[in-house]
Amino acid sequence: MKRLLPLFFLFALLSLFGCKKDVAYQLNEEDIFPIDAQKAKLKTEGQYLAILHANLFQQALSANKVIELEDIIFGFGDKDLIHEVIISNLMNKQNVQIPSDSAMRADPEQFTLDTYERFLIRRPSEAELTWFIHYIENNPNVTSELVYFAFALSNEYLYY
Amino acid sequence: MAAAGAIAAPYILPSGRLFAASGQQMAQHVVYVLFAGGVRQQESVLQRYLEDAQNKPGLAGNIMYNILNGDPPTQKIAYGTDPQQGTKGSLPIPRLLNDTIENMGMLLPEMRATSAGHYAGLNTLVTGNTATTQGLKQKPVFPTIFEYTRRHLGIPATKSWFVCNTLLNSYPLLNYSEHENYGASYGANLLVPNVVFGSRGEEHLANAKVYHPEEQIAPIYEMKQFLDNTFKSNGSGLIEYGITNTEEERNDIKEFIKSTFEKKRLGQIPFPPVTDNGDLSNIGYAIELMRWFKPTLTVINLSNVDGCHSNFTGYLRSLHRADHGVAHLWKEIQNIPEMKDNTVMIMIPECGRNSDPNPILDENDWYAFDHSDQNSLRIFGAMLGPGVPSGLKLGSESNPVGNIQDGVLTVADILGFKDSVISTGMVNGAAMSWFDRI
Repeated sequence: MKRLLPLFFLFALLSLFGCKKDVAYQLNEEDIFPIDAQKAKLKTEGQYLAILHANLFQQALSANKVIELEDIIFGFGDKDLIHEVIISNLMNKQNVQIPSDSAMRADPEQFTLDTYERFLIRRPSEAELTWFIHYIENNPNVTSELVYFAFALSNEYLYY
Repeated sequence: MAAAGAIAAPYILPSGRLFAASGQQMAQHVVYVLFAGGVRQQESVLQRYLEDAQNKPGLAGNIMYNILNGDPPTQKIAYGTDPQQGTKGSLPIPRLLNDTIENMGMLLPEMRATSAGHYAGLNTLVTGNTATTQGLKQKPVFPTIFEYTRRHLGIPATKSWFVCNTLLNSYPLLNYSEHENYGASYGANLLVPNVVFGSRGEEHLANAKVYHPEEQIAPIYEMKQFLDNTFKSNGSGLIEYGITNTEEERNDIKEFIKSTFEKKRLGQIPFPPVTDNGDLSNIGYAIELMRWFKPTLTVINLSNVDGCHSNFTGYLRSLHRADHGVAHLWKEIQNIPEMKDNTVMIMIPECGRNSDPNPILDENDWYAFDHSDQNSLRIFGAMLGPGVPSGLKLGSESNPVGNIQDGVLTVADILGFKDSVISTGMVNGAAMSWFDRI
């Protein structure tokens, strides 16, 4: 019995300092884009222009250029119309970042999902997704540029 | 009884207006010049030049000789253009009109403003009311002449324009009011051409891609409409976002913008012979706009004379140029077939300037003037065109006739809906059409 006593103490010691399995907590990857984004606040012209430029060029617009563009918008009565002319001007620049038409036509669903996320910061509803897929498929004249234009001109894009 | 009721009941016209215009039109177009910036009576109608303002006996004369009868000053000429050698401003701008506006139309040489401030004065010029609750940086609280014109004549937005010379001082807010019965739905298209067609516009608008109306623009609008409807159905309505034009009008305006940039590049904008300030370039673009749209109502704002706060010489130069610009405007209107002999032009400053100067001296050691005293309420008015008596002078220095509120009813009278405006009860009770003052 005396010979077993050290073994007993050794076992007790090991059980005190033995390995303990850590519990690992992880995050599942979840989309944070709601389908029905409740946007209630109107962007300022400066916010609209800065975001528009970032969406089209993946680059920030300088503060000076934002002010220049704001002046133009304030200098014109029909804001929606002058937005359209400004977007037309941006679309004529070389480094505008728009997916190719072939990419859009190859996978209109993914293109629509990406465009909603890029401009409206949300996922489209099933009805919206279906409508755009059909629209792209049934209108061969529609280009990715025209789709981007429509999103940039939409009322929802004026809000955040 | 039933018949009487049927006659009196309002009805919706195809144009969307409620009532038929109540009077006969004297002309189909009105050009209303806000001869603004604060024009001192002494250097304008009274033709004192340096005699009063700078206490220089014998140095009187008329520096607005397109508008007013009277000989120009003969000494100390500083209001003209600069010669290559010699005294700055010593070359008066040659007269443009064969006869003066005073002779061709009517002049009210001694009218009264109701405020010594710019924005309050301009508000009164376009609303016919002196709103005591009117704030700066706030749209007019009473309906403007643009809204009256569009609503009571049932005309589209492209027939009503406010051509503003600057973005400063809230002036671009004047194209429609915040009144619940009028507002943006009846507002004027606003254009600040010195910005839109200036260097900023060159960079951000001039190179706009031209899309095909049916093959490209139509799908854009169709997709936009779908997106807008979805947004709306989610309970997110769009707040009022300024004035809107129909699709046809939008295309027309886009064409106008494109064409104007092109004409600017080719040097074909009808600028006045001397165009060396913002007022004159504003007038040049306003003429281009009138050539394109033939508006029923065009309101043009000038304001360079406001430099008088710190530079009396600059003020004289601007006043001389405002006269030159208005003369050029009238000449060019007569070259637009649809508007020739069918346009009445009216001009009224929004306020005058002080009797006594402030202490600021300019390059000629002449004192500057602000606007805050009784002298600042002295203004004049002029009008010419079909139906306007020639050579008529209403009132004098000792017998003031007319006030700043008259402009709206005078425009409404010319275009044939004066009674409709009066019946709204929103024009000041002291206001009268100038035709009723005769």
